[in-house]
Amino acid sequence: MSALTFRGTVTYLIYRQLAKSFVSLVSTIGDIVQYGLYTLKYLFSGGVKRKELLDQCARFGVSSLPITLSIVGMSVVIVAMQVAGEMVKQGAGNFVGMLIAILVVREDGIIMSGFAIISMIGSSLASELATMRVTEQIDAIEVLKVNPIEYLFVPRVLSGILMMPPVLVVSSLVGIVGGGIASHLASGLSYKAYFDSVWNGLYMKDMNVALLKAVVFGFTIALISCTCGYTATGGARGVGQATTKAVVWSFMAMVVWDLIFALIFFF
Amino acid sequence: MGIEVKNLVKSFDENVVIDHLSFSVNRGETLAIIGFSGSGKSTVLKLICGLIPKDSGEIITSGDIAMVFQYSALIDSLNVYDNIAFALHERKDLRKKYTEPQIKSIVREKLALVGLAGIENKFPSELSGGMQKRVSFARAIVTEPDIILYDEPTAGLDPMSSTLIENYIVRLKEQTNAASIVVTHQMSTITRTADQVLMLYGGKCVFFGTPEELCRQDTPYTKQFVSASLEGPMKLNN
Repeated sequence: MSALTFRGTVTYLIYRQLAKSFVSLVSTIGDIVQYGLYTLKYLFSGGVKRKELLDQCARFGVSSLPITLSIVGMSVVIVAMQVAGEMVKQGAGNFVGMLIAILVVREDGIIMSGFAIISMIGSSLASELATMRVTEQIDAIEVLKVNPIEYLFVPRVLSGILMMPPVLVVSSLVGIVGGGIASHLASGLSYKAYFDSVWNGLYMKDMNVALLKAVVFGFTIALISCTCGYTATGGARGVGQATTKAVVWSFMAMVVWDLIFALIFFF
Repeated sequence: MGIEVKNLVKSFDENVVIDHLSFSVNRGETLAIIGFSGSGKSTVLKLICGLIPKDSGEIITSGDIAMVFQYSALIDSLNVYDNIAFALHERKDLRKKYTEPQIKSIVREKLALVGLAGIENKFPSELSGGMQKRVSFARAIVTEPDIILYDEPTAGLDPMSSTLIENYIVRLKEQTNAASIVVTHQMSTITRTADQVLMLYGGKCVFFGTPEELCRQDTPYTKQFVSASLEGPMKLNN
């Protein structure tokens, strides 16, 4: 088969699509690493405007709190309702609080908070920067000789680093309390038995790892969302694509980080 | 000297958008770059202000460059005051040069210059297209630039707003003595603001002269452009 004939075949089209996807994958990873390094450089070398940082912190931490608390609280309540009754029946009621505490501190709290933050804040960061890109606002910033990475990325990424841990702490507390209420309603387990058991399930190492995860997740979600928005092209469609890309890549990155943490600290 | 462009070349993939283009604009002069859509006019501006890299050639500029974007490009999360003061607040070399009262006074002065005093607290979404454009003028001149680039400044505006914008372009040139480039395809903007006109077609200069020479329609290119005819050497799909 000649090269010219091969170009028209389905196999060629599949290979070409795969090659395009691979190039796009590598290019996105390259963008994230590049802008991540620039952000860290400006984070440590330049000052951050307090007002801009506070605005972004309020956006990242405060405005996302209702949905984060709802998602973490509901997910723990659902687990507690299903598990508590069974465990009490099997005579393991004293371990319900411990189970919920370990579940919330090690996984559920941070993962569910991450999902909520990505859906609400990550998508909003990506669409905001993508809109700025396609409406030439970022070009205007560059022409005015202001570094767009320093102006746009640094306060947003720093707010992710600063706000994710408190969001995690509050949502985990709500999750554990919600788990206690659900356990009590589902199985009649006393609050005292539940919270005594919770204390037995709270390990300092778990809490430290969870806080470290929160910092890394906050950084990653904000960085990926900003990068996807910043590199957007085209018009309204480009904004939509950038937002979807930010959400998908943030989910993937969070799961990969979670796996890395599990391998390092709990394997 | 304001801007000197020598043998500028720019391609996107295999499509040559700017093909060995040369021209110069002195301080206090305005050059209008004209041509049909897709002829590379805006690309020239983006190359001059460094938004996109050139393939080859030389761009020599003296001093600060400011640009007025086609759709104003005001930062929509900032109010008018913060938009105009943006460079003074955020640019490293200017951050500590002015106190806030000084910045306030500069912003008021620039807003008055474009006839929009008292709208400092409004957001871009609360302004009409013409007002946004004038705010973007004020933002562009806040750093007293030596070169001002206008990307289709009257596009999408009604005739009266267009005239107002054209008057501001002339007034800014007189007051700042900046070298200006206006990308446009509107005849009124060319005749009212430009000292020289450069017509682009296929990335090349096909006419360079005064607005009066353009209006004389001495060449097939100027004849076709001024009469807005589909018949002539320039094809729209090129």
